[in-house]
Amino acid sequence: MSIFTNRDGSRDGHHKPAGYSAFDLFRRGLLGTQWPRAWRSHDLKPSYDVVIVGGGVHGLATAYYLAANHGITDVAVLEKGYIGGGASGRNTAIIRSNYLTPEGTRFYDRSVKLYETLAADLNFNVMFSQRGHLTLAHSDSALRTSRWRAEVNKLQGVDSEVIGPEEIKKLVPYLDTSEHARYPILGALYHPPGGIIRHDAVVWGYARGADAHGAHIHQNTEVLGIEVANGRVRGVRTNRGDVAAPVVVNCTAGWSSLISEMAGVKLPITTFPLQAAVTEPVRPFLEAVIVSGTLHVYVSQTDRGELVFGASVDPFPSYSMRGSLEFTEGLAGHVLELMPSLAKLRVLRQWAGLCDMTPDFAPIMGITPVEGFYVDVGWGTYGFKAGPVSGETMAQLIATGKTPPLIAAFDLARFAEGRLVGEKGAASVGH
Amino acid sequence: MILIPCPWCGPRNVSEFRYADEAKVRPDPNATTPERWRTYLYMRDNPAGWTTEKWFHRAGCRRYFTLERDTVSNAVRAAEASREV
Amino acid sequence: MRSATVQTRMPMRLGPQPGEVIDRHRPFTFTWNGERYPAFAGDTIISALAASGERVFSRSFKYHRPRGLLTASFLDPGCVVQVNDEPNVRGSHRRVEPGMIVSAQNAWPSLRFDAKSVNRFLGRFLPPGFYYKTFIKPQRLWPAYEKVLQRFAAGGRTFPDSPHGYYDKRYAHPDIVVAGGGPAGMAAAVAAAEAGARVILVEEEYELGGHLRWGSEDELGALRELRDEVARTPGIEVLTNSVVNGRYDGNWVAILQRNLPHVEERLIKARAKVLVVAPGLIERPYVFRGNDLPGVILSTAARRLINLFAVKPGERAVVLTANADGDAAVADLERAGVEVARVEDARRGGDIIGARGRNGVRMVECGDGSRVECDLLVTATGWTAPTSLLNMAGDRPVYNPTAARFFPSRPSDDVLATGGISGDGSLDELLAHARATGQEAARRALKVGSALRAGVPRRVDVEEPPDMPPIEIPELPVVEHPELFQGRTDGIVDFSEDISSKDIVAAAKEGYDSVELMKRYTTATMGPTQGKLETVNAVAILARATGKTIEETGTTVWRPPYAPITLGALAGRNFEPVRYSPMQPWHERHGANPMVAGAWIRPEHYGDPESEARNVRENVGLIDVTPLGKLDLRGPDVPKLLNLLYVNQWNTLEVGKVRYGVMCAEDGVVLDDGVTGRLGPEHYLMTTTTSGAATVWEWIESWLQTEHPDWQVHVTPVTDAYASINIAGPKSRELLLRVAGDVDLSPEAFPYMNVRTGTVAGVEGCFMWRIGFTGELSYEVHVPAAYGLYVWEKLMDRGADLGVKPFGIQAQRILRLEKGHLIVGQDTDGLTGAYSAGLSWAIKLYKEDFIGKPELSWQSECDNSFQLVGLQPHDGSVVPPEASQIVEGENEIAGRITSSCMSPTLGRSICLGFVAPHLAEPGTSVTVLLPNGERTTARVMEYLAHFDPKGERQRG
Repeated sequence: MSIFTNRDGSRDGHHKPAGYSAFDLFRRGLLGTQWPRAWRSHDLKPSYDVVIVGGGVHGLATAYYLAANHGITDVAVLEKGYIGGGASGRNTAIIRSNYLTPEGTRFYDRSVKLYETLAADLNFNVMFSQRGHLTLAHSDSALRTSRWRAEVNKLQGVDSEVIGPEEIKKLVPYLDTSEHARYPILGALYHPPGGIIRHDAVVWGYARGADAHGAHIHQNTEVLGIEVANGRVRGVRTNRGDVAAPVVVNCTAGWSSLISEMAGVKLPITTFPLQAAVTEPVRPFLEAVIVSGTLHVYVSQTDRGELVFGASVDPFPSYSMRGSLEFTEGLAGHVLELMPSLAKLRVLRQWAGLCDMTPDFAPIMGITPVEGFYVDVGWGTYGFKAGPVSGETMAQLIATGKTPPLIAAFDLARFAEGRLVGEKGAASVGH
Repeated sequence: MILIPCPWCGPRNVSEFRYADEAKVRPDPNATTPERWRTYLYMRDNPAGWTTEKWFHRAGCRRYFTLERDTVSNAVRAAEASREV
Repeated sequence: MRSATVQTRMPMRLGPQPGEVIDRHRPFTFTWNGERYPAFAGDTIISALAASGERVFSRSFKYHRPRGLLTASFLDPGCVVQVNDEPNVRGSHRRVEPGMIVSAQNAWPSLRFDAKSVNRFLGRFLPPGFYYKTFIKPQRLWPAYEKVLQRFAAGGRTFPDSPHGYYDKRYAHPDIVVAGGGPAGMAAAVAAAEAGARVILVEEEYELGGHLRWGSEDELGALRELRDEVARTPGIEVLTNSVVNGRYDGNWVAILQRNLPHVEERLIKARAKVLVVAPGLIERPYVFRGNDLPGVILSTAARRLINLFAVKPGERAVVLTANADGDAAVADLERAGVEVARVEDARRGGDIIGARGRNGVRMVECGDGSRVECDLLVTATGWTAPTSLLNMAGDRPVYNPTAARFFPSRPSDDVLATGGISGDGSLDELLAHARATGQEAARRALKVGSALRAGVPRRVDVEEPPDMPPIEIPELPVVEHPELFQGRTDGIVDFSEDISSKDIVAAAKEGYDSVELMKRYTTATMGPTQGKLETVNAVAILARATGKTIEETGTTVWRPPYAPITLGALAGRNFEPVRYSPMQPWHERHGANPMVAGAWIRPEHYGDPESEARNVRENVGLIDVTPLGKLDLRGPDVPKLLNLLYVNQWNTLEVGKVRYGVMCAEDGVVLDDGVTGRLGPEHYLMTTTTSGAATVWEWIESWLQTEHPDWQVHVTPVTDAYASINIAGPKSRELLLRVAGDVDLSPEAFPYMNVRTGTVAGVEGCFMWRIGFTGELSYEVHVPAAYGLYVWEKLMDRGADLGVKPFGIQAQRILRLEKGHLIVGQDTDGLTGAYSAGLSWAIKLYKEDFIGKPELSWQSECDNSFQLVGLQPHDGSVVPPEASQIVEGENEIAGRITSSCMSPTLGRSICLGFVAPHLAEPGTSVTVLLPNGERTTARVMEYLAHFDPKGERQRG
């Protein structure tokens, strides 16, 4: 039974934000009036109904859906730095739902659906660009896995198909689709609804939406401890004071082991840096998002003209976000294997984020042995794609006390019970 | 590119090595419980700070050894051969 | 493109200057926007154009305002051009070459008339992040809006057929890398080298010298002296037109080298014991109305143009100066014949309110409200310390309001800073600081070297030099400088991104009020200059907007690389090794279709895989299986090791026998499989899958070294040492008989699953084993690699009358599928347990220990995972593609096809696949959903093998 069922879902903090539209833009431009704050700042209250640790897309989306879908508005989102400063602001902003397992596909498909209407729902253009997503296959085993994914995807109603080199060349003329390539392109998994998004806008849109519903967003507020008594969570200690709360949600990435440890909950997580890089802008030439598992690289071109690259996680775990030269070297080599004519394009900046890897490459969502302490962690390299659906399902779990079927497979108990999620299959049959 | 102090070869580029997990003790396979065994399989300390881990000098002497490393600064110390642990 | 006219004169070129870098004896022409222009060797693209009187070099990103020269250095944001097929070339840095074809980027249809410049009138309607606030509804129109936004993307052009070019890499092991070849860098390098250190001195520009190069007579004299010292001191390698691009963990220093002949760019990776950071200072633009007009330039730009390139920057100038460099610029301008109409001295309250003009400055409004007509406005309002490399070493720079700039705080022990980045002072004071820094760097490098050597195990102790006391580095004075960031009006802060001071204030008021949020929302500092020109101004404006100090506001984190680096240089020569078997020449001669299998290239087929398979069933075929992983195991404890690695039993394997084995990981998931034979009492040969060869070797070493160091086993990988040939088919014995020397091949003497050592085609030391992946009588022969091709050719030759033919991977897959042999990784996946893969017959839970035993023993009690079974479609002409799903009801997944083919032997389609446990009973009919959407049915078979399930043929 939910702890909120007796409450009236107070909406004291609710306010209507200034609307965003071309008309408003024109009006304010004409009058020269300042736009109001996208979200407000508040004093930290001594208690909240729900405390969410982590002001990234997962935490802010959870706060938003708690209010928007369930009327739970006495919510604090605690962020140790600035919102979206962690993995939410460091990922390569690729959105897709062509996963290998039925549960993965269904879950991420819901996320894509939410992303598709997010701009209108939040009245904030998140610039979701569904320009198509190509997973290249350079070996017959990779091609087989592509077909496997396509078949599972189609059964879940997700648009996904295997295409051949001629079609690939038509979609991306810069790709070397010749047979003489070191790793010839034999085919690709084509996923038309996949694409890229403006990741910061998603964070800000959720923050503005959650704020409008009355949630408090506290930046520069670091959680230092979690109070647990008699197997129940009681609240958190922060650098700005103590906060009592019957519900604490760990929505962090990179630090999820450390936050959970504060509540005495051990996780099957190892933290690895994931690096990315961006080039100088050039005129648009690349429409689709390109992924090559064999070459460990993904590439897309932003609306600004920059090429954004990512690779696999670093070869050893670390909490360092300093980045390495080996990463950019390997990345460049692999990009040029795919598109040899880009040798003169220059890398402008590299950065790193932290990924919490789980043994089965699937997240850990839901209840923990500590009552009232929930986790939404272990996102590996997939966290941003899942932001909306995670917020929606975590909010549902917190509000109703029942685990939504969409996330039932991702429970923490699966590790002790030996029922891992099969997403690892995709990674290990690729060889 | 950090340097890993191989106890047999001296300090070498980390690219010569493979990280081989946190150092941990394998439970007796004949006297274990699912819970204990799966803790060994899946649970990790994952600290932000000094930790003890196993490394393999893949492109060198091909020996496994344990190493202490600070996972924040990537500073390393006290490498020793596995069999001496 | 209009017809090529030639500019012949250079109206803005001055007479010879004492420090000029141009060679007036080497004139030539190049092309700019379709017209030919003159230049001298030594000119940059922009200095040559400026000498011809050109002032507009690009259009700005958002408003398409005309942009000219600002810094006359690599960072110059308005001087980024296209050179041939190379985009985004820094025109104020790149030396122009004869015949170079240069064009403006970001202008349409031409630089002079840019259709998109209407944007500037719309500026008030395009606040920062305007795109977040509009194009929201209707959703379906967003893709069309997006196309419009994309059209405004800045930057040059790439071409799908550009040649790759030649790029290079180098490793270096210096004691010290000095980043920056100005006076401080040169002095530090000399002092360090004199102390015995090996030094690499890196300078971003084409020559050493930094600001001395455009300085006074005295400074030019000092420059000559310093250059001489560098040249005559042994141990200094000078790299010019090169830049220290990053400092990574362990003082791993990336140096981008640009000035090599025949090499586009080279990446040097240096393991520096100490890094000395001496980049000097970057002059900061001033923010006011019209500050991005062509003709508004920095004092260093004016001095560079005049003194290095002998180019007159304008005719009539206003100068805003707040420091000695501004004063020197006034003197230089006057000397160059520029009329200095007004000097506004900021130290005495002078200021600039705004500049006006259409395609360049026409008039400047000064602090007192007076207006001065001019075509040049020079500003000298302060400096930015390029602390990037220190940032990368963990330092967070600290703002000093007295000097109005950031200073290093606490870099790590192996990084030192000197020169303007560390303080002010006279040239002598700076050089003294730099010399002391160089000496201290040399001392620390010696210590680091000792520590590294101490980590190397050795028999004899090496005598290390004694520790020396630290060198005292004098403090540099900090000279007072007015805090000048933004004047009384709004102007451009980020010239690359077209972000104004107004934009930053607006963002702060909307809640994007920390430096990182402001940066992300406005995109200020995210363009090609990466904040080197604009960060401090942006921080100062944000601080004022939020009522905080600059110190409280802080800066963004500077990330590598320091200067943009080509993908080509990062990739280098693109070394991707390829592995071939010794028989590759034969395969190529006989029309083998190559197939990439990890690092190996293997014959997929020789034209007709089905007939290749048939020939194996009817006659005899040869397949090259060299890539099979092979490990030589020796020692008394090998049986213990095999019992641990494999799920099955190995104690009883006699000499001369081979056995199939399955390896699992600790979670019970199938890891690898293969056969292992006992060649002698303490000698075994293990085979693994091709892709598993390296993993299994490391896996074995891990168990031997960490869990069972007391076991006596020696492991040697011999994959490459032996060429491996599988001779398969009813006539294989007959063929082998013709070439085998000393081995009795009779079925009684050499039965199925046995191994013999002997001579084949005269080659001694071959291993032969009788196994049956194809299901036929077959011998796998492992030949010393150097004889592989010879033996293969011999077999082909001697077997001609038997109908011997080669067969490739594809035929082998058909044959093994007919036999129902699984392929790890194809018929299993990352979660397939050994029971699920139909391997229960192999698992011996009574063994004391083996890897994965606990999980497998629990699985043996309760396993409800999918089961691997043989499947045959009821319609034998339908081959369900691999990965077709087996479904129940509407869309419930109840399994999948893992392998399928048309069996040439049976004349029907056959499959392996996973089915849910309740469908695993032989005879069950399952529904297969084909990728084309059609459904078909298939029968679950009794055996995995479709052909000869009792294995009579292979035992023959």
